[in-house]
Amino acid sequence: MAVIIGTGITAFGPQPDRTIVSLGVEAGLLALQDCAVSHLEVGAGFFANALGARLFGDTTIGQNVFAELGITRVPVINTENACTSGSTAFYLALQSIAAGQSDVVLVIGAEKMCVPGLGLIDSGNAEIETQLGMVTPASFAMRAKRHMYNYGTTREQLAAVTVKSRRHAALNPLAQFRTPETVDQVLASPRIADPLTRSQCCPIADGAAALVLASDEYAAKFERAIRVDAAVLTSGSYENQGDMTQWETDQRTATQTYEKAGIGPKDIDIVECHDAFTIAEILHYEGLGLCKPGEGGNLVESGETSLGGRIPVNVSGGLLSRGHPVAATGIAQLVELVFQLRNEAGRRQVEDCKTGLAHCMGGDRGGDTKSCTVVVLSR
Amino acid sequence: MADLPPVAENIYVPSKDGFELVGAYCDHCEKCFFPLREHCSNCLGDTTQTSLGSRGVVYSFTIVRTKPPFALPQPYGVAYIDLAGCPLRVFCLLDPQQLGKIHIGSPVRLWVGPMGVNNAGQPCLRPFFRLLNNPSEQ
Repeated sequence: MAVIIGTGITAFGPQPDRTIVSLGVEAGLLALQDCAVSHLEVGAGFFANALGARLFGDTTIGQNVFAELGITRVPVINTENACTSGSTAFYLALQSIAAGQSDVVLVIGAEKMCVPGLGLIDSGNAEIETQLGMVTPASFAMRAKRHMYNYGTTREQLAAVTVKSRRHAALNPLAQFRTPETVDQVLASPRIADPLTRSQCCPIADGAAALVLASDEYAAKFERAIRVDAAVLTSGSYENQGDMTQWETDQRTATQTYEKAGIGPKDIDIVECHDAFTIAEILHYEGLGLCKPGEGGNLVESGETSLGGRIPVNVSGGLLSRGHPVAATGIAQLVELVFQLRNEAGRRQVEDCKTGLAHCMGGDRGGDTKSCTVVVLSR
Repeated sequence: MADLPPVAENIYVPSKDGFELVGAYCDHCEKCFFPLREHCSNCLGDTTQTSLGSRGVVYSFTIVRTKPPFALPQPYGVAYIDLAGCPLRVFCLLDPQQLGKIHIGSPVRLWVGPMGVNNAGQPCLRPFFRLLNNPSEQ
């Protein structure tokens, strides 16, 4: 299909002195240096940013980033797809290589969102749901309430996701929140949307991540190349009155990806999933088939998704602790998998890590997600 | 209250004992939609405007305690309501006076009142659900 030969990632967190462009350029340069590929060899650029138009009035930012990297004249494509902006750019880059359009492409996701007055993320002011008070934490809080009602999932199990996340992030110098928290501290943090407290919601962040992708032929000489086994992008089904504790879009996207990769959940050694809220990680365990429906709370409590457990999830710290610069996230997840699959993840290295899965979702519509991506990488 | 504009057009209408939600109906597919839309997303045929009734049951809910958008009350409640009159789940506000009294499975009905501001920053009316047997009306 294609391989990843280079990765770049900046620190995540408030970076008031940086611009979207400077963050994107830093990540892009690191990715090119990682694989020692000249910028002159890049045949196309894919750039993800979700909020620049809304916050700064900036559009077609990708061309600004790639021009500073000396990558001109070639196709540059800008993507906005909510929280999957980055993974969508990756998906498109992959198609470009699969179609034989380019041998080497650079994918960059960059976001700057730590600005005064951002408020809570919503689906846009023209939407009736937004005008009736829908904000993203509320959407997940309602799923949490129903999961607790259906399966007896507890507040402590929700909090255990954050406790694990902070423990992992302490091993990642680029993560935003690296201080350990206890279950009691998580539950005592300010309430956002019941039952979710602040420590159970991912922080906004400034940051960027980048990948260099190459065709199999081009990458033959790269010993640290990581194979892309499958990448799937879907949108929601928006099935009204569905079971909101079992995310059909998650299940459908994961199933398609497993089929394409010719593997099942048991073959996965590490997962980076879209833990925007604690309940989200629990729902994704179930959607990705890491446990049976309703058992996500027990799974996190058992320690099986911690570093050293059966199937470590969000060893990078995930969105909850690494931080969530929206359009960088989908690429940052893949960067983490590449670190792990190359056995270059340092103190947070997952042992005998051969196959990794990244899952990302974005946007709200009619009680569903608008966009979902699942990618499987292997060495 | 009559002087204030609704938060958006065509989402509710007055009825003889309160208010009803307004949605779209496809005769061909026998499907309801909320909010109103011109075409059925199943067959792409034209829809007609229809009443979705005023009653339902809470599927799930939350109380948002952080700084609210649109000058909504702090805290404010929202819910997914499974409507009684048609097979449809809608997202809506809850009566700010009844937070803590409304739970999953609570029977509720639609009401309308002044709440927050609209996209233009003007005070406006918003629909919300309250307990079917509203204690303040007894």
